[in-house]
Amino acid sequence: MKRDFDVVIVGSGVAGAMVAYRLAKAGASVLILESGIKNPSRSKMVGDYVTAIANPGKSLHSPFINAEADINAPSPDVSLGYYDQPTSSDPHATFKSTYERRTGGSTWHWLGHTPRLLRSDFRMKSTFRGKDLPADVVDWPISYDDLEPWYCDAEHEMGVAGSHDEWKDLFNSPRSKPFPMSMIWPSFSDIWITDRIDGREFEGIKYKVRSTPSARNSQLYDGRPPCAGNSICVPICPIGAKYDASVHVGKAVAAGALLWEQCVVSKVDKEADGSVHNVHFITYGHSARSVTADIVVIAANAIETPKLLLMSGVANSSGRVGWYLMDHLSKSTFGIVPERLFPFRGPPSTSGIESFRDGDFRKSRAGFRVSLNNDGWSRKGAPYSEIIDLVGNQKKIGAELQQALFDRVSRQVRLSCSVEVSPDAKNRVELSGTTDALGLQHPKITFAPSDYSYAGLAQATKTLGNMFSLIGATEVDLGADPKAYDGAGHIMGTCRMGDDPKASVVDAQLRSHDHRNLFIVGGSVFPTVGSPNPTLTIAALALRAAHDISTQLGTKERSQGHA
Amino acid sequence: MSSPQTIQSRGDLLKLLCEAAELEHGIACSYLYAGFSLKRDISEGGMTWDEQQKVRRWAAQIYFVASQEMLHLALVWNLTTAIGGTPYYLRPNFPQDSKYYPLHARLALEPFGLKSLRRFILYERPQNLSPQRELKRLLAFEGEDAEEIEFGSIGELYALIESGFRNLDEKDLFIGSPTQQITSEMIHFQEMVPVTDRLSAIKAIETITEQGEGISQDRDDSHFGAFVAIFKELLDCKEHGSNFSPARPAMLNPSAGRERGYGADSNPIEDPLASQVAGLFDSAYSLMLRMLAWSFEFDAVQARDQVKHFCGVAIDFMPRVLLPMGEGLMLMPAGEKFPGKTAGPGFGLTRHVMLPPDAKNALLLCKERLQELAEIAARIASNHVPDPVKRGCAHLQQISKTF
Repeated sequence: MKRDFDVVIVGSGVAGAMVAYRLAKAGASVLILESGIKNPSRSKMVGDYVTAIANPGKSLHSPFINAEADINAPSPDVSLGYYDQPTSSDPHATFKSTYERRTGGSTWHWLGHTPRLLRSDFRMKSTFRGKDLPADVVDWPISYDDLEPWYCDAEHEMGVAGSHDEWKDLFNSPRSKPFPMSMIWPSFSDIWITDRIDGREFEGIKYKVRSTPSARNSQLYDGRPPCAGNSICVPICPIGAKYDASVHVGKAVAAGALLWEQCVVSKVDKEADGSVHNVHFITYGHSARSVTADIVVIAANAIETPKLLLMSGVANSSGRVGWYLMDHLSKSTFGIVPERLFPFRGPPSTSGIESFRDGDFRKSRAGFRVSLNNDGWSRKGAPYSEIIDLVGNQKKIGAELQQALFDRVSRQVRLSCSVEVSPDAKNRVELSGTTDALGLQHPKITFAPSDYSYAGLAQATKTLGNMFSLIGATEVDLGADPKAYDGAGHIMGTCRMGDDPKASVVDAQLRSHDHRNLFIVGGSVFPTVGSPNPTLTIAALALRAAHDISTQLGTKERSQGHA
Repeated sequence: MSSPQTIQSRGDLLKLLCEAAELEHGIACSYLYAGFSLKRDISEGGMTWDEQQKVRRWAAQIYFVASQEMLHLALVWNLTTAIGGTPYYLRPNFPQDSKYYPLHARLALEPFGLKSLRRFILYERPQNLSPQRELKRLLAFEGEDAEEIEFGSIGELYALIESGFRNLDEKDLFIGSPTQQITSEMIHFQEMVPVTDRLSAIKAIETITEQGEGISQDRDDSHFGAFVAIFKELLDCKEHGSNFSPARPAMLNPSAGRERGYGADSNPIEDPLASQVAGLFDSAYSLMLRMLAWSFEFDAVQARDQVKHFCGVAIDFMPRVLLPMGEGLMLMPAGEKFPGKTAGPGFGLTRHVMLPPDAKNALLLCKERLQELAEIAARIASNHVPDPVKRGCAHLQQISKTF
């Protein structure tokens, strides 16, 4: 039976864009359905950011607000109340991360960091088995070695800058190829801190500062310029030096894929033979339409994907769709150092410490990454808060104010951690009783970190305190509430990958156990999350899935990263 | 290029390396001049918000390419010292006509625009140009001399240098001390290659040719590809009737003053204050070069800390002193003889002594010179000068204070 397309892809974030590009390049007819609006030009979005204070329709931190999109494809990034979160007696039981619904997805405002998962992250259960390991921790159905060539492929596609020597065998997780370009040079602050902590120990673990790999050009690459240190990677890189998925959306379209924006997918039909072909969507004009395809790929992130599957009643014979929602627990800590380190220049973070990501301790508590940041106390309102204090309380004006501001702001340091969250069946995405303007249900979210994760957060906070002590910081602020955390924006879990159809949603090829022509890509398929930023793993899995989809279609998908 | 087609001796090779050093150095200055000329803010006029975003992207590309030229110069110095030479940092002052080097393209200080981009494309042209480029058609505009497009590429020069490193006896050739080689540990260039034998020499040459000029294959991500893309974007704006004016109206080939005797056919800045700033720029630039050359010349083992210190200060000079002063000069009037034009840095190399081998004396000479320059900077900053010039002067004084 002839269908409209070989492949329909729901969502144009990094996962959907990579799959679309590879399949279109292989000759498949591909349609991408994107719920968000067509992006205005980058310069228009940067302009919106720059003028946000003066524009009542915008907020300072989001150049992405759009009235029409926010009504028809609302997202938690801009629409308060989009998440239906039941009130809990635990004040920390709140899911805090958000996302974008637009062409290119949340990569528009991501930080750009691309560390890989470690070998042990794929084997959490078998490596750290024991009474203290949370019950819902599992092994992935694939290994580090299975994914390693696809990591290289993803690094090539996204354009990752990094130091091969520093990362070539981190925790027994070797790299088979160098990064496509050399690392982003460490900031002055990174170098100063490294001089004071590198090689020192905390509770038996040595600090080792490494340049953080990032999808940010350190040279001319893929037609995009090198990073020029504009320092506004979040919310938007003004010159496109930082990778975002609009790159691969563009490549997919150039290779022949169609991109239909403002099309909110509402349902995927299940056929009598167990396959899925018919994808229904609603336009912003409230017109209901549908298309058919041989293969359907859902790439709508770890909240919108389970929401769509639940609304459609597909892929859920296990009853596990929406379960095991995860993020990383992020915490920022602050100090003033004796010397001027000149923050607020270059990317917000250029170096980090991986030493605490892995070890036997993971039998009883979570691992974590540490980031050295170049953004002073901006998370605490600097430099505006400093100006208010200096003028309002200390009555400084003129040159004296300028000197005092310079002296203080130039010595501000932020250190942060990103703590592994363990999977927990109670943490879920379900369907809410409330609906949006198109009549589609909001996501109902239940989330509370486990004791395992909180133990990791406590250890991370202690470690950051030790680091501040080693660098001679004063006015150290580790936060009053030991359980307080921020969302990392790393939304994962909810459509677990696994070999057992009764306990997982997709198989090792990311194919639905229930529908052999339905694939799910994105962070939703992660069984566990380790502590690295997830985007590179999302991209690597997507490229691997594209290869399998291509095989199923019979097209000749060729990976640039593979012989 | 201007040397024999087969390399017979160390002398031949050193001569070619000096030519490469001159070219890398001169071309970097030319790129920096164009980069300094790009407007920073809409308030400078001549561009819309959208056009300003283009300018930001172009500036990032041009400064990046210039920084890679500096890396190339450093690699050429490592190649030179590996075979017993000393780092060559001299070059003829601007402008030099198209006959001076077999590039058949002028070396000039010219603000950003189609003409300067055209020259940059010619400098960076790969040996194997893709026919799809239609380069002649693209660059033949405004009656420019068509023959100028026929030129020898820098790739040929590096191919010749590589042949020398391949052909001359390896055991006899590499007489420089391995510890004299500058690495990324000593200077903040990630891709520094210490040259100790034939293999590392070829790796250093490949690093240069892969990144930019002289690359054998035509690639969008090379310097050449980037300049062609910028050229087309600018041409496209002009063809669509835009009044886009991305660059400050900087004069051509400035020099700080006639009395400085640069020897080249430059245009001395007439405005007295701008001339003083340009003079300070040249002096800072010259000191920076001397500190770098000293660091590359002497065995790092014997003066490791000082080499690292000199390299650090020299690199610090670039963004904190030369960049703001260079940009600031382009906001100052050039003088009555140049109506409507602003000044610019001449990158003038005037008479000076090289730093002595003795580390203590070299340190003393630098310290004294820095103090002198800091005093000049303080005097200049007390005048009404553009903010970037003030910033550069302040940084120079800070560096001198902590040296």
